[in-house]
Amino acid sequence: MVKKITGKEFEDTVKTGVSVVDFSAGWCGPCNMLAPVLEEVSQDLTDINFYNVDVDTETQLAVRFGISNIPALLIMKDGEKKEIQVGFQPKESLIEAFKKYID
Amino acid sequence: MDVRYDVAVIGTGPAGLSAAITLKIRNKNILLLGSKTGSSKVEKAHEIHNYLGLPAVTGEKLSGQFMEHLKQMEIPITEENITSVYAMGDYFALTTKTNRMYEASAVILGTGVNFGKPYQGEEQFLGSGVSYCATCDAPLYKGKTVAIIGDSPKEEAEAEFLAEIAGKVYYIPTYKGTINIKNNIQVVWDIPVGVQGEYQVEKLILKKQELEVDGVFILREAVSPASLVPGIKMDGNHVEVNRKMETNLKGCFACGDITGTPYQYIKAAGEGNVAAISAVEYLSKLN
Repeated sequence: MVKKITGKEFEDTVKTGVSVVDFSAGWCGPCNMLAPVLEEVSQDLTDINFYNVDVDTETQLAVRFGISNIPALLIMKDGEKKEIQVGFQPKESLIEAFKKYID
Repeated sequence: MDVRYDVAVIGTGPAGLSAAITLKIRNKNILLLGSKTGSSKVEKAHEIHNYLGLPAVTGEKLSGQFMEHLKQMEIPITEENITSVYAMGDYFALTTKTNRMYEASAVILGTGVNFGKPYQGEEQFLGSGVSYCATCDAPLYKGKTVAIIGDSPKEEAEAEFLAEIAGKVYYIPTYKGTINIKNNIQVVWDIPVGVQGEYQVEKLILKKQELEVDGVFILREAVSPASLVPGIKMDGNHVEVNRKMETNLKGCFACGDITGTPYQYIKAAGEGNVAAISAVEYLSKLN
């Protein structure tokens, strides 16, 4: 499941394990297309925590990670930023991109 | 969004038309997207000497024959500018410039090779300040400085939209003519060279000057296959396919110039036929 979080919750949520944070917004078409695909991926990769951040309300968090195009997927491991993937991707590519952090 | 088509065929050159005809014969529900007049490239060709059965045919004549063939088979062409094709799993979602959406179980790409070469740094900064979609990313540039490279007068409306949100907007037209733009947009007549920056876009380099910007929107008439279909595997400037015209994305096929040289009409038509048959095979396994 992809859980919606706020900027305040961010630090505690990504502290341990591998997290994928989807920065998106309701007005962004590609974000809305990515959401159901990411949801499916989250059901396949249960060792990874999936979160969603609304860039409209959590602008500071988006600025902190230099998010300038959305959807953007921020990958964190034990509280540390690993990489940011930008744009829609099909399920197989997402799984490939995330899997290397749990192997 | 009322129907899910069996196959969406994008492109109305010889590849796309040939694919559409074969799909129609196989009784598939198709959505053929492109120009109602077919391919302007074919139409403008002086004379073609190696199209089977039609010796020394002019491009205009050949194009006319193509359209007549389509008419006889009652295949309509939908004139829409497709901006993205999303692989959703067991179907594809196609979005248009006018924000419409279509769904299809399979997709055949026959969009040709009329997309331009990317600017220096364009691919490197895609997602870090370079964007192809003003309506998607504009709100992220609230109060900031952006440059828009527009390939056609149609993009002027996008520039105006951005100007409502961004702090400062430069508009760099790559076409000639009068620019009808309101608002606080500065039109710059110069030739784009590339984008530069450290982690994010910082500058747009033009032939005669440099502009300090936070973002660059590149709005082209035709987008490259990689930005049209996120996740598609490329082989240089072309889409990678196998002998069945399958791309790396399940249910997505490509044919014609987009798959590589030789750029020949009869090769494109042949590949369209193969792509259509492969799509039919794919559909039969899907159900």
